Parts: sequence; structure tokens; C-alpha cells
Amino acid sequence: MNAELEKPRLKKKKDFDVQFQDRTPFWQRFRARFLTFTFLKKVLWAIFRYVLLVGISYVILYPFIAKIAGSFMSREDFLDVTVRLIPRYPTLDTYKAIITENKYFLALWNTTVLSFLCAVVQMLTTMIIGYGFAKFKFKGNTFLFYCVIFTMVVPHQALRLALFQKFRYFDIYGIFNLLTGKTLNLINTYWPLALLSIGGLAFKNGLYIFLMRQFFRGVPDELEEAAYVDGSGVFKTFVRIIVPLSMPMMATVFLFAFSWQWTDNFYSTMFFTRSGSYLMPNILTIPSSLDVTGFQAADVYSSAILNTAALMIILPLLIVYVFGQKFLVQGIERSGIVG
Amino acid sequence: MNQAQAMKKAPTSAPARRRGKAASLDRKKARAGWLFILPFVLVFFLVYVPIIFDSINYSFHTIYLLSGGGFELDPVGWQNYYDALFVDAHFVMTLTSGIQQLILEVPAIVVFSLFMAVLLNQKMVGRTVFRAIFFIPVILSTGLIDSIDLNNAFTEYSQSGVDSGNAIQGSDSIMSAMDLQNLFAGMKVGHELLEYVVDIVNNVYGIVNRSGVQMLIFLAGLQSISPAIYESCTIDGATAWETFWKITFPMISPMILVNSIYTVIDSFTASSNKVMSYVSAVYSGATEGSDVLATAMYWIYFTIVILIIAAVAGLLSAYVFYQRRD
Repeated sequence: MNAELEKPRLKKKKDFDVQFQDRTPFWQRFRARFLTFTFLKKVLWAIFRYVLLVGISYVILYPFIAKIAGSFMSREDFLDVTVRLIPRYPTLDTYKAIITENKYFLALWNTTVLSFLCAVVQMLTTMIIGYGFAKFKFKGNTFLFYCVIFTMVVPHQALRLALFQKFRYFDIYGIFNLLTGKTLNLINTYWPLALLSIGGLAFKNGLYIFLMRQFFRGVPDELEEAAYVDGSGVFKTFVRIIVPLSMPMMATVFLFAFSWQWTDNFYSTMFFTRSGSYLMPNILTIPSSLDVTGFQAADVYSSAILNTAALMIILPLLIVYVFGQKFLVQGIERSGIVG
Repeated sequence: MNQAQAMKKAPTSAPARRRGKAASLDRKKARAGWLFILPFVLVFFLVYVPIIFDSINYSFHTIYLLSGGGFELDPVGWQNYYDALFVDAHFVMTLTSGIQQLILEVPAIVVFSLFMAVLLNQKMVGRTVFRAIFFIPVILSTGLIDSIDLNNAFTEYSQSGVDSGNAIQGSDSIMSAMDLQNLFAGMKVGHELLEYVVDIVNNVYGIVNRSGVQMLIFLAGLQSISPAIYESCTIDGATAWETFWKITFPMISPMILVNSIYTVIDSFTASSNKVMSYVSAVYSGATEGSDVLATAMYWIYFTIVILIIAAVAGLLSAYVFYQRRD
């Protein structure tokens, strides 16, 4: 203790700058800082917090870890009861079979094009619609916004039959029928998704419109008024001032729209039948070279194969997510959803 | 430079301009507003409304597909609804248990996501990493992946311990009911609460998976609370616990309302939902008229859920605190 008392003094003589250094002995400082109830509470809380966060992260990540482990397992590993996660005879057969027999790259390309187009169109339309709802007062604004909420609440599954029938025998109030004498068949084309996206009525678009509207309501009116005074029209103001402002929100909506379209199996199986575009849901079958019939652990093995396919489906999404995740919090943060 | 000048000028010059042609400017803006939402209005009324109308209409009919293309509708009145409620052996049972599940899970999800949002909002090492991990389910666990994980034989297999002869009872669930029973034994909280907690703990993956968007919304809400309020609270000597209940909770209560409604909507439209998966199994069933029967079932379920949403909204909005921001 004495030695510690001496040290600062010795230094002080040499160094002019340390003139105002704390004269309290080290041990006292230590006690005041670390041996208090508040500090103990803080440490305990930090430990508790980390244990909890790591535990829940494990719960979230476990299925992915299991999928990765299972994707490298060979047939023999499923018969071996001591193998649960780490394969004894690692193999790439599952990947090869899915890539070659299930035509993975074809599905990847088709899905990328479809998801990208859908996400871009949905992002733009929901932004435009959200802006219209947020910044302009006109008759019917509230009523139409209730319509948006309504589209959010109605489950798409309930409309399944009607959606299919509508696009199988497409017609707008009988106009086509009058003109040409028959209805259009839009199944297996991109039209149904394009139409729904343009109208902001595709999967979860109600949520995007809601987010966009909340975001634009937080943008001060003075900004646009200044632009109007400078002689810029409504649309020019929108393109020049509002669009650059709303980049984080656009990124958020794009991320949502892209990934939800990517993993969607409701629309893509309904609008694209067997002869249609080859999309991601189509690769979720057991490749014939990995035949599981009669295999002792067929249940687990086929499940592991499907898990591998799922892993390959989400792999591109993971890359998009790594780049886009920082916008996710940012975009919603700035939307000022409060009130 | 130019913009900055314009912004400064705006407050002084705008009223003068507005006085001159107020009516026409307002009308112009209204017209522009209509133009902005035109795509929605067009597709909504030309395509979407007919679809909803058709869907309701079909549930009162039987559909026959004609061989030459096209289809024929045969009105059957309330037959489909009668079949769904009184003839189908499992529908009512699935419906009641599904709604029970919904009512039990919604509070769990909302409370969990609020708690996690508060945690993820605190300053600590590795916050960005944890945030990134917690939002993974929002992006990845939807649609296809969700349907694979619903009955995942492989993850269950890899999670169960090695079969070494001495049976490990309930090792596939994270916590066995026995452990919790011991924990709760002296508390006299009743059997139902115990079961509820055990259910939630065993279903933690499902709950974590479905609380991503809610966490995002809560985080946004938490970040919009002014730090000045917290500061004055600390100066007045409030503990963290008091601050949470007196400041954070009221300030975030609008978010609780939004999230409760979102959770109800989200979990009842999710394909992993019991009722939804049952009805879609009915839909793809082979028998004639199974599609219209399923549509009728969807509408029954939808009506009930709308009532639940109305009840939740009505109940919670009485307690929501809105800050005046003038």
C-alpha cells in the first residue's frame, strides 16, 4: 500500500502535467469504484444479459447449424447412432445431386429475376402510394387508407380459390369478354404478380405502405414547401427531394419484399404450375440418385436432404441480408412509427 | 447552397403566395395526391375487390370445371358453412384449439419482443452482432423455410441425445415439465399458469422466430424516446425499474397496441398456424367441392379473428398513452 502511495508522488515531481492528479490512494479509489453494490448489480446484469442473448442467439442459429451439419452427412452417417451433428464420412453428394438433378441454378436464376423485379416494383409503388397517403389531403384519403389496412388483414389464403380463378379467367368487369369473346389465361405468366405488385396489393404490401406512410409523415412539410416556392412541381419535388431522403426506408422495404418473395411458396406455386417458370419451391424434392425408399433411416435422411435444399435456397438471401441488415434498424428507426 | 437559401425563405414567402390562389393550389395538391395513390385505387377496385367478392360468392356455391374450359357455379346456400361447422369432424376442434393457441401466444410474443428490444437497445459490446442475429428470422424464416422447419425430423434427430440405453425423458424439449414443477411448487400459482409457462418455454423457437418485426417496431419506438426524460429521471433518483414502468412503458404503449394487432394478424395468416395448415390440407383434398368448403372455412376463421382484433384494439386503446408533440 505504501508503495502505491509513493508512486504518484515520485511521478509528480518529474512531470509537471500530473500536478492535478487524484491524490486518493489507489486502494480507496478501487473500493469506491468496484466494491459497491451498484457495480455488483451492473456486473450481474451484464452477465445475465449476455447469457440470455447468447442463449437465444443459439436458439435462432441452431437450425442453421444443424442444416449445415446435415448437408455434409453421407448415408452411413444416418445409420450410425453416435453421429448427431458432426459427420463421420463427410460428403458433397447431397449438394451435387441438388445442383444437377433438381436444376438448382435454373431455379436460382428464375427466382432472382422474379424476386428482384417484384421487390423493385413493390418498393417504388408502395413508396409512391405511401407518399400520396402521407402528404396530400383529399376526400377519401382516410377511407382508402382503411382499404389498405383491410388488405393487410385479409389472409391471402382465404382468397386462394378466387385469386386462381380470377387470373385463370382474367377479366375486368366483363370488358374483355365483350370485346374478344373470351377471357385471358394469365396463369404461368408474370402478369398476376406484376399486377398485384403495381397496385401495392401483393404479399404484405399493406405493411410496406403503412411503413412508408409513417416515414413520410415524419418528413417536415417545410422541405416540400421550400421546393414549391422555388418553382418545382409536385413530382419533381418528389423525385429530387423526397426520394433521396427516404433511402434507408426504401432499403428496408426492398429487403423485406425481396426476401419474402424469395421464400414465398404460396404465390409461386399457385401462379406457376408445373409447366411454368421453374422456381425455388420446385427444388424441394428428393433427387432420384439419393433414393430413400426402403432405407432404414429414410425419415431423417429425406428430411436432411430437404434441409440442404433449404440451406441452398437461403444462402443467397444471407448474402443480401449481410449487406442490408444495417438499413433494417436504421430505416425503421427513422420512420418514427410512434403516434 | 441554393436549397439552404430556399429553406430559409420558405416561412416568409409561402403564406403570401398561398393567400393569392389558395383554392387552386389546394385543389392542385389534391389532384396530385390522387395521382400518387392511383395505382392502388385502380388495381384495388378493378382486381382486388372483385376477388374478395368472388371469394365470398364461391363459398355459397359449388364449382364445376367444364371440359371445354371455363367453370360453372351451382348455388348451394349455406351448405358449405353448415358442412364446415357440423359435418367436418375436425374443423371445429382445430378452430377452437387454434384460437386458444393464438390468444395464449400473442401476449408471450409481445412481452418477449418488448423485453428483447429493451435489451438490444442498451449499449454493450457486440450489440450489432446480436441485432443482426435476432433479425435473421424476419428475413429467413418465412414461407418455404417455415414450412420445412414446421416438421423437421432432422433437427429433432440431431438435437436428441445419443441413444445410450438409459432413456433420457423429454430431452428433446429444452426444459422438462418436472423441473418447472419443482420450481413452481412452493409458489401456489396454479396448474394452468404452470402449463402455460412450460408451453412457452418449449415453444421458444417459434416465439423467437415470430417476434422479429415486433422487435424492430419496439426498437424504433424506444429510440424515439427523448434521452432528456431519462436524464431528468435519473437526477430525481429513480431506479432503472421505476424508470421502465413510469417512462418507457407509457411511452411505448402505442407500439404495444400496434404490435399486438400485428402479431394477431401475422400469426393467424402464418402457414405454420394450425387452422391454416388444416384448411389448406382440406383445400387440396381430392373430393369434389373441397375448395369451396375450404374457402368457407377461411371466412369463418377470418370473421372470428377480426372479432379478436377488434377486442384487442378496443381493450388496449383504452390504456394507450399518446404524447402530445406540439
